[in-house]
Amino acid sequence: MSNWKLPFFITRHFLYALVLGGIAGIGFMIFLIEFDHLTSTEAFCTSCHSMEFAAETYRKSSHYNPISGVRASCGDCHVSEGVFSATWDHFMGSKDLFSQLFGPDYDDPVINALHLPDAAFSARKWFEDRGSATCLRCHVLTAIQGNRPETNAIHVEETKGKSCINCHINLVHRKVPDQETFKRAQWNQMIETEFGLEPGTADRILSEE
Amino acid sequence: MNQPANRLLLLVLLSLLNLPIYAAKVTLNPDQWGDPAGKECISCHKKSSAGLTAQWQNSKHAEAGVNCLDCHKADVDDADAIKHEGVVIATIVSPLDCSRCHTTEYEQQRGSVHSEAVDLIKERLPALAGHVGGNAIVAAGCDQCHGSSVRVLGDGTLDPATWPNSGIGRINPDGSKGSCSSCHGRHKFSKAQAREPSACVRCHSGPDSPDKAVYEASKHGMLYDAQRDEMALTNDSWVAGKDYTAAPTCVSCHMGAAGKLKSTHDVGMRNMWSLNSPISEKQSLVVFESGEKIELPESIPAPRRGSELTKADGSMGKVKAVATPARRRQAMSMVCLECHSKPFTKSFMTQFDDVVMLYNEKFGRPAEKIMQTLYSEGLLTPTPFDEAIEYTYWELWHDEGARARHGASMGSPNHTWWEGMYLVGRNFYAHFLPQVLAVAGKERGEAIIQSHVRSLDQHDWLNHPRRANPILGYGKGRPADE
Repeated sequence: MSNWKLPFFITRHFLYALVLGGIAGIGFMIFLIEFDHLTSTEAFCTSCHSMEFAAETYRKSSHYNPISGVRASCGDCHVSEGVFSATWDHFMGSKDLFSQLFGPDYDDPVINALHLPDAAFSARKWFEDRGSATCLRCHVLTAIQGNRPETNAIHVEETKGKSCINCHINLVHRKVPDQETFKRAQWNQMIETEFGLEPGTADRILSEE
Repeated sequence: MNQPANRLLLLVLLSLLNLPIYAAKVTLNPDQWGDPAGKECISCHKKSSAGLTAQWQNSKHAEAGVNCLDCHKADVDDADAIKHEGVVIATIVSPLDCSRCHTTEYEQQRGSVHSEAVDLIKERLPALAGHVGGNAIVAAGCDQCHGSSVRVLGDGTLDPATWPNSGIGRINPDGSKGSCSSCHGRHKFSKAQAREPSACVRCHSGPDSPDKAVYEASKHGMLYDAQRDEMALTNDSWVAGKDYTAAPTCVSCHMGAAGKLKSTHDVGMRNMWSLNSPISEKQSLVVFESGEKIELPESIPAPRRGSELTKADGSMGKVKAVATPARRRQAMSMVCLECHSKPFTKSFMTQFDDVVMLYNEKFGRPAEKIMQTLYSEGLLTPTPFDEAIEYTYWELWHDEGARARHGASMGSPNHTWWEGMYLVGRNFYAHFLPQVLAVAGKERGEAIIQSHVRSLDQHDWLNHPRRANPILGYGKGRPADE
């Protein structure tokens, strides 16, 4: 036998701790993976009633019912790939839960609609910051065909320096203008008309928050 | 005085009065176009919208280096501004946008009867759209010619109830009125296309202003059709009598240059009469210091230069110039004089005016008075178009009445008579008057007809029912009207 010896700190207890810690670590990773998976589903997201408003338009979109039968769930688009990024996104997303619990009453369709543009702007920024990475999980630029003859050429030749979100806003959820040209007064007026509210109601609701 | 001297005097008078009949020569400032950010657009658009891109590529605009962004650029604060590929643009290119370069044309069309076409039917729309038609008709019918009030929704889209629309008086999100693309087809904006009579036909057709049919049936239309290849439609300079003599088109007479008469984009300016009204009136064109204009019937005394007058929008404005009916007629006649003699022109106008006055006095005015009587005596409900006679009256002036007057104005004998005044007469005697009896009762009805119709010389024939009738086969052998 060699006289190779374990360092003095590798004790029996250390080995127990290593094995248990390893198992716990693997368990934790599995937990995170499962957690990220479960919390990315439509069912989980819409367990907050306010999310039903976003789901309503989503269920009418081509991402819900494409002819291919491939359905993108909430998390497929809004949660990053990879367990660490996904966990981080969920962690950051918990501020939405916080707002849901302690912020304005997003379950109210009017309040929800009035806040929608801000949600859209931050979601767009999220996509932009990540180079629309979640879109690219499924979509391959060179494979995009479309209905018109030149759609593929446009996607191959005209997209340098751009990611999907730069052109494809308002793809799934209710249409909101670009932040730069967004006009709060016009938006509020539209919501007031839609819900049959007195002019000025929107301003009042927003200032009371 | 001989003819050239007359015309010279007229010219001097007109220029002294500083009227836009003689518009400034078009000079465009090239600083206004060639935006570098707009040069990239077609790389994608020749794929995504190949048709319109090709139209632009074959245009004078493209030749001069005017690119997509030069026309479509917008400020972020514009109501209809959208962000597109990193630049702020608007879908609608309004006359105000075009005026970045085409200032003269913009100033001419501003306040013209064309640009005020929405206002023109403001009072008619509720009844016609609300009672007879519906909102879908307003969007796809009325507004497509007169223009919509384009509404930008809160989500940045243009309300489909108001757009697409290229009505001539469209009220744009930037507040300007009109749509250059009403006559100038996008995206080529070809001069030749806009000089064709077809440029006007989309709206100037149909029962109330069948100007396409009237023109085609006139000798002008006949000559245009036969000699279209001599029209020099693509010429830069297009002066009637100089660059072409084959025939006049709508543009030639209503806005084109002729002799020393300059072209104008105020297409109604040379019209002395209001022809599409229950009773035609001669009208003055009042031009305000601010560039706006209004039509003023001759029955209202013409204002002096510098005086204050209510503008179309209700605010007060200072009068800059007034084109009287006589001067508008003179302007129109200057086009005629390029090909016709002065007595010919004058007598043609006399024949036209006589038809207008015949319509006014024989049918328009009596019918209007009768309707007012029926309303004021409670014999008709005030609600428009719920009684048959209201349709008869409406069509009398709006359809056949306008058709007869338009027919005479542009020399179509058929539209003046068979399609026009004959139908006015038939509907007046065979529908309108019997309907008066039906709603007013025999006794009151006869009295109304007696005082507004039978007592007039032009209707005196009604008082002689026993006269011979060879035309319809009764009393053959006896001379007519005995």
